[in-house]
Amino acid sequence: MRNSVSRLILLVILLSASFAGYTAADIEINTPAIAALKQSMQQRHGQLEPYYARGAVGLTRDGLIAMRDANALPLSARQPVNALIASENQDRNALYREIARANNHPEWEGDIRSTFGQRWIELARPGWWYEGAGGAWVRK
Amino acid sequence: MVKLLVKILSALFIAISSAYAAPLITLSVDDVHSPLLDAKGIKASLTGPRASLLEITLGEITVQGKIWRNLRFSCHAFQFSGDLISCDDGVLRLSKSAPIPATFHYSSRDKTLDVKIQMTSGEASEGWRFSAHWGGAAWEGVLTVTNGQVTRIAELLPDKEREMLASANGKINGMAKLRGNAGGLANIEANFAVDGLAFSDVSGLHAGENISGEITAKAERQNRQPGNLWEWQADMTWPLGEIFWQPIYFTGQGHRLHVSGSLDDDIIRLLKGNLMLAGIGEADLSGVVDRSSNTLRDLDLRADNLELSALFSQVLKPFLENTSLTGLKAAGYAGIYLRYRNGASELLTLNLRDVSVEDERERFTFRGVNANVPWQARGVSAADISIRSSQLLRIPLGEFRIPLEINGQDLAISRMTIPVLDGEFTLENFRASRQAQDWHWQFSGGLSPVSMQKLTEALKSRPMHGTLSGTIPKVSYTGHTLEMEGALLFKVFDGTVELRNLMVLDPMGRAPSLVADLDMRNLDLDLLTGVFSFGNMQGRIDVAVHGLELFDWKPTKFDASVMSSPGNYPRRISQAAVQNISSLGGSGAAAAIQRSFLHIFEEFGYSKIGWSCSLRNGICHMGGIASEHPAQGYVIVKGWGIPAITVIGYNRNVDWWELINRLQRITQENVKPIFQ
Repeated sequence: MRNSVSRLILLVILLSASFAGYTAADIEINTPAIAALKQSMQQRHGQLEPYYARGAVGLTRDGLIAMRDANALPLSARQPVNALIASENQDRNALYREIARANNHPEWEGDIRSTFGQRWIELARPGWWYEGAGGAWVRK
Repeated sequence: MVKLLVKILSALFIAISSAYAAPLITLSVDDVHSPLLDAKGIKASLTGPRASLLEITLGEITVQGKIWRNLRFSCHAFQFSGDLISCDDGVLRLSKSAPIPATFHYSSRDKTLDVKIQMTSGEASEGWRFSAHWGGAAWEGVLTVTNGQVTRIAELLPDKEREMLASANGKINGMAKLRGNAGGLANIEANFAVDGLAFSDVSGLHAGENISGEITAKAERQNRQPGNLWEWQADMTWPLGEIFWQPIYFTGQGHRLHVSGSLDDDIIRLLKGNLMLAGIGEADLSGVVDRSSNTLRDLDLRADNLELSALFSQVLKPFLENTSLTGLKAAGYAGIYLRYRNGASELLTLNLRDVSVEDERERFTFRGVNANVPWQARGVSAADISIRSSQLLRIPLGEFRIPLEINGQDLAISRMTIPVLDGEFTLENFRASRQAQDWHWQFSGGLSPVSMQKLTEALKSRPMHGTLSGTIPKVSYTGHTLEMEGALLFKVFDGTVELRNLMVLDPMGRAPSLVADLDMRNLDLDLLTGVFSFGNMQGRIDVAVHGLELFDWKPTKFDASVMSSPGNYPRRISQAAVQNISSLGGSGAAAAIQRSFLHIFEEFGYSKIGWSCSLRNGICHMGGIASEHPAQGYVIVKGWGIPAITVIGYNRNVDWWELINRLQRITQENVKPIFQ
């Protein structure tokens, strides 16, 4: 599962040929910065996985993650999980910015974010929670 | 309240008795307005044999802005005889709550009222009892709670508050005594203990579990004073349990709060408060709460000796979670004084004693910090901060003082010096201000020569000689971007290094990116190759790295070139260096050398060195001396004299990280080339 994050990043890029008319083949994803972010996200993914499965953390439509139900966690774990979510979102925001920047199209950031948002949700495991089209949480 | 109840009951039963002969009595009132409460949709009926069935319903009742809806009380064994009114099997229902069995006895002869709620929940018997008696104008009531379920209180709460405590749990035991006279309630004494208290809002971001605690409170109306003035005091202890109030997680470890003050129609005044946080320290409090707006108007808070390690990790650190300071550890002692008046902070003084601050990401460490930082809402104040020793990116800094001027949200330092190894960093005209949640700052300064040998030792990198110095006309930070005007000048390897056009985006964030131009001139190759064990070369080179872009401190883009400096100087290259240069280009690169003669000579002459690398998308696109155009490849070293050697590279593209790995292998392993 550790590799799933990097596989997912690759998949998202390869499967989404919809960046404002640019084809997937044009997308640069092999920069040290992206590699560093991928590594950081992979390391964190193992920690986040049980919280996705428990429904405490869910995937949002804007390509980030959020606390869905803090009640699923012991009180002492709620702030550490909040911190984990904040770190993950910092990395995700940096990833979208860097992919756009590495391709010399900073204006793609919004498209990249929403494409990632959709793909993270599509590739989520059954039982995980995500933000549906209406904004309500949906269990996959 | 009791008096009011007595009046209502009397009035009700006078009405009933006048119509006692009738089997059915119904009373219906649309609206009742009073200064104490408003009620709508009131219905009361007395039916059944001997009028023994009492039903009272209330559509909505509002007390002090709090609303309850759908209250219903019914009694199947209602008795009314002369001076006694009683109900032994009443049931109270509050909107969605389960039926609550209730009994009451009212005796106008004995002047007593006794209301009981008795239930068996789980293994414990739960009881709520209110007994009152009166004589003349005075009355006394006692509320006794035995194993009371906190859920019960939650059910009795107004609609909005009940939602907040939907899953409240725990037990409550204790007693409250209320005394009154003609003027109303005059005295309250209460002692309650909670055990196993748990609560949570729907989101789970404000919750507590397994909380035990005790509260003892007293309040007395001051009849000598005009108006409705009360004096009160309360003691609370919290020995056990945990609370999460986002973002703070706090456990009960014997924390105590003692408060005393007064209360009138307009304000609640805290005259004296003492908060003792176990493991952290004590704080004294006083203040005023405006009752009409339900806001804090004034507050004085003083704490002299707080244990910073626990205070930081439990209270302050959670607020830094989304910032670059998230991985901080602090120790030492802190004092704080806050003066808050009319809804705004007037004065805040922070004292630090022998404090150390450490960044878990090893970006900085400060030790022996002593500080007095006064802040006032109006006017300028001067802070004195001294730091005994510190490290910034592993570079040790000597003792220094920060003469900080504070003017509202603006900070300024006119001049300060920080010892850096054997040199000194001078900071001038520092100005910082907070605008729209973001900090903006700028400074100018300079670095007096720092020995490169000491610097490389500190950074645990290969030893270099020379000095590092520079003048910084202006560095500014605004909109998460740090920008340097002017140039930083290093003197290394007997040449100069100039760093210009430096800009760092999000420097304190998780993925900072940097752009800059770097020009190195006249570097002594003998010194340079000596340090990096590359194989000896003699001569001088100029290195330009333009359009350098780093992300997370790793290069992503640049146009770099290395070429021989102009001028006359000895130009020699060793066998080892030739081989290393050749191997850098990978298997596709080869030296156009006459191998049969090579092993005879230790070193060769050359006239020019030239190599360029444009890094794009992880690939270094290489070239050689611009003026040379061999039939194939590019010339890296152009031979001259006897014996001469020309090195030609054939591989134009190489993976950047592969190139770095090769360079590291060569310089770290100090590989001795073997010539056959």
